[in-house]
Amino acid sequence: MCLMLVGCGYSTVPDIDSAERYPAGDGSVDFKPLARFDRPLANMPLEEKSAFYAGRALAVQPWVKAPTATDARDGLGPLYNARACLACHVNGGKGSVPITEGQPVSTAIVRLSIPGKNLQQGVLVEPVYGDQLQTQSVSLAHQLRHLPSASNLTDEPTAEAVVYLKWSAQSFTYPDRQQITLRKPVLDIRSLGYGSLHSQTLSSLRLAPAIHGAGLLEAINQADIDALADADDANKDGISGRVNRVWDAATKTSRAGRFGHKATRPDLAMTVAAAFANDIGISNPLFPQQPCTSAQIVCTQLPDGNNSEGFELPQALLDLVVNFNRNLAVPKRRQASAPLTLKGRALFYQSGCVTCHQPRFVTAEKAALPHLSKQTIWPYSDLLLHDMGPGLADDRPDFAASGSEWRTPPLWGLGLSQAVNGSGQLLHDGRAQTVEEAIIWHGGEASKAQQAFAALSRIERSQLIKFVESL
Amino acid sequence: MKQVLFQKLLTFSAAAILLSACGGGGNGDNGGKGSVEDELASEIPFNLQNAQKLLKTNADIAYATYSDSVDTAVDLKNAITAFEGDRSQDNLDAAKRAWLIAREPYGQTEVYRFRLSPIDSTDYQSEDGPEGEINAWPLGEALIDYVSRGSDFGDGEVSVSSHSTGLNYPTENIINSSITIDDALLSTSASANDEHDVIAGYHAIEFMLWGQDLNLDSSADTENSREMSTSGNVLNSGGHRPLADFTADNPLAQRRFDYLNVVVNKLISDLRAVREGWSEGAAYRTAFTRINNEAEAKQKLSEILTGMGTLSEGELAGERMQIAFSSNSQEDEHSCFSDNTHRDIWLNAEGVSNSYYGDYAGYDNTLNGTDNEITRAVKGYGFDDYLADSGEVELAQAIEAALDKTEEGYREIDASARVHGVPVDRLIMDENRNAANPMYKTIIALNEQSALIADLAEGLKIEKDVVEEEASGCDTSVPTESC
Repeated sequence: MCLMLVGCGYSTVPDIDSAERYPAGDGSVDFKPLARFDRPLANMPLEEKSAFYAGRALAVQPWVKAPTATDARDGLGPLYNARACLACHVNGGKGSVPITEGQPVSTAIVRLSIPGKNLQQGVLVEPVYGDQLQTQSVSLAHQLRHLPSASNLTDEPTAEAVVYLKWSAQSFTYPDRQQITLRKPVLDIRSLGYGSLHSQTLSSLRLAPAIHGAGLLEAINQADIDALADADDANKDGISGRVNRVWDAATKTSRAGRFGHKATRPDLAMTVAAAFANDIGISNPLFPQQPCTSAQIVCTQLPDGNNSEGFELPQALLDLVVNFNRNLAVPKRRQASAPLTLKGRALFYQSGCVTCHQPRFVTAEKAALPHLSKQTIWPYSDLLLHDMGPGLADDRPDFAASGSEWRTPPLWGLGLSQAVNGSGQLLHDGRAQTVEEAIIWHGGEASKAQQAFAALSRIERSQLIKFVESL
Repeated sequence: MKQVLFQKLLTFSAAAILLSACGGGGNGDNGGKGSVEDELASEIPFNLQNAQKLLKTNADIAYATYSDSVDTAVDLKNAITAFEGDRSQDNLDAAKRAWLIAREPYGQTEVYRFRLSPIDSTDYQSEDGPEGEINAWPLGEALIDYVSRGSDFGDGEVSVSSHSTGLNYPTENIINSSITIDDALLSTSASANDEHDVIAGYHAIEFMLWGQDLNLDSSADTENSREMSTSGNVLNSGGHRPLADFTADNPLAQRRFDYLNVVVNKLISDLRAVREGWSEGAAYRTAFTRINNEAEAKQKLSEILTGMGTLSEGELAGERMQIAFSSNSQEDEHSCFSDNTHRDIWLNAEGVSNSYYGDYAGYDNTLNGTDNEITRAVKGYGFDDYLADSGEVELAQAIEAALDKTEEGYREIDASARVHGVPVDRLIMDENRNAANPMYKTIIALNEQSALIADLAEGLKIEKDVVEEEASGCDTSVPTESC
């Protein structure tokens, strides 16, 4: 398989397949009049629409502080990052980080850990703050913190911190001497609410990823992904491609990871449940705990919004949100057959981008999900971990992923990213403002492809970018 | 070199086969066919003049409904002022009635959401409109005023750990604290990037007037005595905040009025801002109604249809009705303090039908179920007229039948609350949840209606791909390129 990959990567460019215009196969949707990543698959049966939108309700409507009369919607926090999923996954797209220094991070998160391993959590969490900095609290003092008179209130529980960024700039010079400026965020964590961080704390800034097409990615046979893996680079093409091994709380086993910046979640149920627990502070059957460490005593003492099953989001409602995610569409391509796009397409293949940004999969057959079955999809990702070099490294290992490994993000819909969320930032921490910057940041295993891109003429580079933006 | 590559690109078919092996295997191939290529619904002839008329009517109705929303919000403010001046049960009831009336025109405006019109956007581009400040739900009531916890919550019982007694929680809230209650309370905490609970808008006022609706048992006597009686006393349903919360001997009474005043003032100013976006000569209205060609017209028509379709199937059928059915939580309803959700459903659906027919009948200012206030009524050019003028009788009939079916459903929900004393919070606790439940029927009808709205959009070829827009191979941004 991998020998074949070498054969079909690089210099050869496949014929254009008219199906390429439909990244989500029959489920591809239109992007007019408004581009969004939270629309249902075009081929989702009509009778499933109500359930889809019921799930969306739980993803978009704000969770509130317990107790309330709307008891199915309470239990926010007590510590949290956002009140709703789509507050950060804006219209189903990514979150963003502030470019202006002095403006706090709100739709990205900071993961924390200390050196060491834990089979179920993937990391040894920071002992006081846990595995994520929760920058919001349900306390009245925090909610009204911009009011001078709120300073007299009991700030309990206090939020964990306020995260700001400083940007460090560097320039990159192409072989043809064109220069571009790159920028990299440096964390500036202030107002720590529970004392200093552990002296060996590892941190990682993460943009909320886009969620479109998630069910189709989940529907890919693991064997098809495994077939692309080459953990020890046996074929000596400089590209490894590894499958993460991660915890599944549902089966209580280790499984292949597929979702998340470092492929730390095996499926959508774990992905959604973990996000509810960590980002919104909503307990659920897979993550039953409140987002408080034992050092955060007040946090553990507050009323929760658990129902009679003992969860703020019981199984039936978690299923609805997972189902919402599973049915998210991908928009059709724009200008897919424009001549410049086609030139860029050829260059994309020839530069070796497709080795990791695998264009095409055919989803597995699942009797319960016929509209997700046997679809030819075009995600442009192998869903594997790759060492991306020191420039992109966060030096924070997670499960089997090293501190410089990241999962190849799918490129489908990328050209609509800005229209969807208003920011257009790329890469795990939003450092790239353009496709070009994102490509130049590629290092490690992607160095060869990055160099191939850099060696193109300026016009060719713009064509390759045009192709990526047409996806 | 480039030419050679291009040729290769056209001729190298063997590589495609290899690629499919590399790309994860599997031999199923939908080849891009199937539903995405089957968009061959008969094309409705395009007419620029008729499109222009339709856009104008759509804007006229928006201006009328938002104007009525502003006026009724001002009436609500006046009722609160009167109540503050004379703190009697009659005046509390009058304020509640004013709130219920204020919802009548506003509910009909929600069809203008989901299309970057002024309710969602200040510039037709960013999602920075005041919708969340006006109508966000659920409310963070525990931050605002006292709430109950304990057995009244039944299945949703809140567990309170035994060692929380030392905490000033949740007795400390906006009302019961030293927080300064002035306009800054909302203006400084209410920004898009500030992840704070909902403390503004219609539902904040609703909570202050009614309090929590603490009944859980859908068959309990206490509930029956509270729910709407057949005599149609709309004030007997929902929460029962005691008058004593507002009377002079209550130390927090004045803070409740201060808060009510701050919230209603902000509501009025937010609604005014939205209304102004739709006024003659305003930037949004001008941009929305000015069309120079078919493509622009179709973009605007599709915005209207997006609002109609999204409200029908997404927001109303799914995010307000289906989830309430699914969550098994009695107060999982839009107007949970006042038990006025039957009106939310009616009015949202009526808004969709207004957009289709190009008509606005006014609103109900006596709460008897008919639109008595007709000063700003509009009879204009709707999709029904557009379809009739295009000879598309069949599609028009299908859509109108679907709208009728939805109306039948929401009228039944309304009658259930109004006549039979079974409001939405009890309909959603129905164990059977079968086709006999009017909520269920209405959800189905809304989905069918939305599918036909999608057909209409398709017939207008609004969603036509723009793949081949770029005619030449020249990149005009790189003038040096040979092409």
